[in-house]
Amino acid sequence: MRMNCTLEELLAVDMSHTFRDGELGFTGLATGKAAATYITNIPLAAMELAKRTHAPNLDIWLCGVYANADWSSLDGMPESEFEQEMMYLSCEAQEYDYPVTPYAARGGEVSFGFGSGVQVDREGNINSVCVGDSRHPKVALVGSIFLTEHMALFGREYIMMPHHERRNFVEKVDYISGVGFPGGREGRAKLGLRGGGPAYIYTPRCIFAFDEEGKIYVRSIHPGVTRQEVINNTGFELGDLDSVPTTPLPTEEELRILREEVDPRGILLRPAE
Amino acid sequence: MERKRKLCSMEEAASYVKDGMRIATGGFSVYQKPMAFVHELIRQRKKNLTLVGSTHCMDADMLIGAGCLSKIETSYVGMEKFGLAKNFRRAYQDGEIEVVHYSEMMAWDRFLAERERMPFYTVDFLGGSDILNKNPEIKPFKCPITGRQLYAVPAANVDVAVIHVHAADQYGNALIQRRHMMPQSMNAAITRGCGTVIVTAEEIVSNEEIRAQAENTIVPAFKTTCVVHVPFGSHPTPTLLASRTDEDFFRYYAQISSTKEMFREFLDKYIYGTKDFAGYLQLIGEDRLEELRRGI
Repeated sequence: MRMNCTLEELLAVDMSHTFRDGELGFTGLATGKAAATYITNIPLAAMELAKRTHAPNLDIWLCGVYANADWSSLDGMPESEFEQEMMYLSCEAQEYDYPVTPYAARGGEVSFGFGSGVQVDREGNINSVCVGDSRHPKVALVGSIFLTEHMALFGREYIMMPHHERRNFVEKVDYISGVGFPGGREGRAKLGLRGGGPAYIYTPRCIFAFDEEGKIYVRSIHPGVTRQEVINNTGFELGDLDSVPTTPLPTEEELRILREEVDPRGILLRPAE
Repeated sequence: MERKRKLCSMEEAASYVKDGMRIATGGFSVYQKPMAFVHELIRQRKKNLTLVGSTHCMDADMLIGAGCLSKIETSYVGMEKFGLAKNFRRAYQDGEIEVVHYSEMMAWDRFLAERERMPFYTVDFLGGSDILNKNPEIKPFKCPITGRQLYAVPAANVDVAVIHVHAADQYGNALIQRRHMMPQSMNAAITRGCGTVIVTAEEIVSNEEIRAQAENTIVPAFKTTCVVHVPFGSHPTPTLLASRTDEDFFRYYAQISSTKEMFREFLDKYIYGTKDFAGYLQLIGEDRLEELRRGI
């Protein structure tokens, strides 16, 4: 199938269909090219598209600080969450106190968030702490940051993985920063976590989801990616992928809204040069 | 008798920190970190400190590289877009430092417990995580009212909290910017329960100026132990209303922290080799510093 759009647009449009009207979305301002694209830009584009199609009452908390920020005046996405320029970002509400929107995070008001890590496993657990034993790590990473809260308190989590290789999709993560479905949905329920946990995993090759038992499955494979490629690059058993559909292409109208209304200057989803 | 003036030298302020103490630095991630104070701890060759907080960057990385920390309790050590914190990474991998992982919001909760003089803060969202499973200091307990599974997260309990602000007066009233963000909120959070609060300030303003905007006093005088006047005191991290991020310096630091040897040379030149923070700023250069103030 020929793509009528970029990979990033494909993911953003697919994701926009999963948002419901009246939800509250939460995204950070990630830095670094791949991370920023997956954790910040694709989600923002998807949410803005949803607002302009079926979800006009979707509210967006940027960095958990700025409510419904207006970045139409910006020439590029800010690279810093808390540099002076951000202080005057046009928005409807700006949280002064931490923890960021504590009543919203703790109160279960956040419908969904976006997180990433170096490893994700078949139970949907995610790791951003280290590779190897956390007492003597082989590779030390940055820490759990807000992922623990995302995965435990938000209505659902979109795991955004800019790299889809065997080393990222593992049988068991080396450190559980954020909890998925150990022992399925039943097992998760026993842990007393109020939030829904991971709902989708978006990668450059496919989209994963979790079934009603909390078992991971491949929901769709992107145009131009073979089933074998997905299998070869995933470190756990995926079962038979023969009936997995192709990630649907955006309609012309969706692409028009995305390009002309959401992101006219290409600051969110500028195609790779 | 006159009202106590709390202005003192950085040398004196840093002497409140004794080897083996637990300390907290204000700011958040790569923003508004009390770097001048951190430098002085290194100059005074402090040992076996524990750094407690939510998100850290060069404050932690420099202290680790200089051998001042034996332990860190945090949710993040990194340089955001400038990459990983390399001294932290090396020391953690080589077993030279103990790292106790907390999650971001819970790491702030620990200061709320300290503020309330409670031994712990209660959270309910840790089940199944290694934040819980690998930290014996977090204790599970059953809610005495509902029977629900809850977790006691130990209070931060730091001996010294240090923050960098854009303005304070000589009595220790420290200002926050009216419209501000998380790094500034963190400054408030870590001072509330702490017995020794050190304020470093870009500018010392008159008591009249404080009175004219009393709603912005983030730390009132009675909470403040001492005040140090130190322009660019958060360099290379930014301070709202004062200076921007020194991106070139962050990139330079990412390079020189790649090996222990290069980092040692850096310390010898910029910290051990300078008498004080003013000496360090001379090495950074006036032109660069002026650039960081532009448009603020």
